[in-house]
Amino acid sequence: MSEKIFIAQGELTAMLERLSKEMDVWVPVEMGDEKWGVRFLPYHRDNVVVLDRQSTISPKNVVFPQVETLLHFRYQKDDNDPSKQRIDLEDRQDVSSVLVFGARPCDVRGFLTFDQVFLNGRYKDPYYEQRRKKTLFATLLCDTEDSACFCSSVGSSPGDKEGSDLWMVSVDDGYVIEALNERGRKLIPLMGKQAAPEQIEKAQRIQEQVNSKRVGEGDLTQSAKDFTGRFTDMDYWRDMISKCISCGICTFVCPTCYCFNITDESRDLEGERLRSWDSCMFYHYTLEASGHNPRPEKFERYRNRVGHKFSYFPDKYNGMISCCGCGRCIRSCPVSIDIRRIVYQLKEAVDARV
Amino acid sequence: MEDKTKTLQREFLKVFEKLEVVLGWEPGYDSLHATPSFIRQAQDLNRLVWNPLCSQNLCTYLVKTLNASVREDDKKIGICVKGCDSRSLVALIQEKFVTRETLYIVGIPCEGTVDWRRLMRLEPSLKDVQEVHIEGNELDVETAQKTYRFPLQHVLEQRCLHCRYPNPIIYDLLIGELITPHASDDQAYGDIEKIEQYSLPDRLKFWEKELDRCIRCYACRNACPLCVCRDSCIAETRSPKWLAQRCDLKEKFFYHMIHAMHLAGRCTECGECERVCPVEIPVTLIKKKLNQIVKELLDYEAGIDPQKQPPLLTFDPSEKGI
Amino acid sequence: MVNSKEESTTKKDLLMVGFLCNWCSYGGADTAGVCRFNQPTDLRIIRIPCTGRMDPLFVVKALIYGADGVLVSGCHPKDCHYNKGNFYARRRLEVLKQFLPFMGIHTDRFRYTWVSSSEGQLWQQVVTEFSETIHGLGPNLGVHGESDAKAAMSFF
Repeated sequence: MSEKIFIAQGELTAMLERLSKEMDVWVPVEMGDEKWGVRFLPYHRDNVVVLDRQSTISPKNVVFPQVETLLHFRYQKDDNDPSKQRIDLEDRQDVSSVLVFGARPCDVRGFLTFDQVFLNGRYKDPYYEQRRKKTLFATLLCDTEDSACFCSSVGSSPGDKEGSDLWMVSVDDGYVIEALNERGRKLIPLMGKQAAPEQIEKAQRIQEQVNSKRVGEGDLTQSAKDFTGRFTDMDYWRDMISKCISCGICTFVCPTCYCFNITDESRDLEGERLRSWDSCMFYHYTLEASGHNPRPEKFERYRNRVGHKFSYFPDKYNGMISCCGCGRCIRSCPVSIDIRRIVYQLKEAVDARV
Repeated sequence: MEDKTKTLQREFLKVFEKLEVVLGWEPGYDSLHATPSFIRQAQDLNRLVWNPLCSQNLCTYLVKTLNASVREDDKKIGICVKGCDSRSLVALIQEKFVTRETLYIVGIPCEGTVDWRRLMRLEPSLKDVQEVHIEGNELDVETAQKTYRFPLQHVLEQRCLHCRYPNPIIYDLLIGELITPHASDDQAYGDIEKIEQYSLPDRLKFWEKELDRCIRCYACRNACPLCVCRDSCIAETRSPKWLAQRCDLKEKFFYHMIHAMHLAGRCTECGECERVCPVEIPVTLIKKKLNQIVKELLDYEAGIDPQKQPPLLTFDPSEKGI
Repeated sequence: MVNSKEESTTKKDLLMVGFLCNWCSYGGADTAGVCRFNQPTDLRIIRIPCTGRMDPLFVVKALIYGADGVLVSGCHPKDCHYNKGNFYARRRLEVLKQFLPFMGIHTDRFRYTWVSSSEGQLWQQVVTEFSETIHGLGPNLGVHGESDAKAAMSFF
């Protein structure tokens, strides 16, 4: 029987202070004064924590930073033989424990996707693994869905506890928090006091209500065949994607996008090998050293994005869709491209249009 | 007041056989968003709309998607422009990226477009929106339950608050009556003046704080109608390498300087860069300052006169004072 | 190069970058050297064919990455070796000079002048004045933000 505690809204700051003494705590914070957007940042006293809406950018930065140094290198001349050089490499990673506080089930779904790719294949990514092992999630039950959300259409739900270590339900101007595993249990004493039975019951009722709620219409999890069927229909892709401006915002805000670039940045005799976010929306994504580019047009690149999320990834990873239905790409897209519509309409046969 | 949506659809239908494609707006993913529309078949014209949600500048597609300088047949490109968009169009004509003859321009005088984020700040629980329109000095948002009224000053995009060109300056057909600008010439740079009241170190701190959020998605660059280098942009080239992959502030700051300086004397203040930024950086300020300098020094504003050329691309030997 | 705020305030040798056009100003600097005029040593000169080659972004890059001052010098207008390079340059550089303060960079950290190849004395004067101005302004602390890498490279 897991302990359930309660923390009042007014005591949140004190709780976050206590927690940040033990580990780094990342919280959703407003972009700035008079601004609407929210992003995850390490907790700091001056930041205003925002829990009433989804963050604009997903918290994937915590486990998969936008830029990560894989190693440092330095060329040193051999003192005994000046014609020789040796390379000093340093790849020590200083990773501290992190608690991601205030994420939502869709954000955590992203990490489950990443785990498939970075941990469950033939090769484990040690950089990702180190961070992932040391990151805990205190996730909010979500009741703030809007017109862009569609988590139920991709197999998740606003009450989905999978992947989280602590689960928070908003009740009575505060939160009932329960630990979902041993790691989470260790933090409970720092978080609050035993919740009253009425609070626990309220949380339970809210959970049941949310479990039966559907956020998003239809089911997008079985679209792989439809995608293959419409792969060569260039008119369809042109119709849907002419308005794309290839900016890459969709991939940057997405919790499940994990493509990266590795570059060596150096000056004179010292340098770093960096891993940084790449975006399939950019021309350079598939640009080859010869100058040839197999996906020169943005229609082809967006088709690849849809294919990867709804067809190739589920084929490879037991039907898991590489999309969590958070709707960030839809909300942040400068031209409001709606990936749901594009995937739904894959079903329509070519001659049924017009 | 005649319904501009219907007029738009009707007028395009009249000339559709002469057009290869019509660029306009259609309803977006929900009733508070519009999205650009590429209409290639006459029966799809009834998707077009005009309302205060039509914020995108469609001129950005002319060079980058449609290669508008190269037309293989006699058919034209139909395009809807607001006042600010028409300036971008003129700027593209000035720099010979598009030829006037290949375009069929429908101009729509615009009272302003809604900043969805500002609206959400005021009323985050807006649901079941059925209609949005401007009534005098207010924005009316009709939902199934009630009608919300917001003062325009509180919900319009920042670019609209300083707008001096609500009426298209180039068009083949004008839909609607002319509109008085929201700002006069001497109010145009009020937002610049606010920054210039800070001391020099405070200005640097301001920009450090704002630009630190940048995620280098390059949406500002891609949405800009005048940024036409596309895949050859120096922000992304490896040889020569101007920017590292590192996400330090230095790189981000430099990226924004590159973007702004390549637009010096060419930017038409359409405000798209700021609208599309996912982390809400006030990037238009940087370009507006450059525009102000070019205006005062070289007496030039981009996108007004199709015959003129941006001054930083030319010279005048008899110039004094420099 | 600037690494941390503490280091830079004790720096005595400031770093100024000079972009000199090959035909006039570079020759002028050479003349100043031949005549053995006394000059400050903090200016590092980069030779460019003409100030028309000057991309204002070179100046911006230098200032953002920690140069304390940038000086650009070319042929006198109407005397450009390539006829019109410096006509373009003076417009671009004047716009840049007026723009820098808006971003929080002191306008005096950037200066552009016209020095011909026989004007050794003028060159000495320009360099001395510029160096004094920059020393008066102090080291350029550069641009810093929270996203700066914690383990900074020694040359960044």
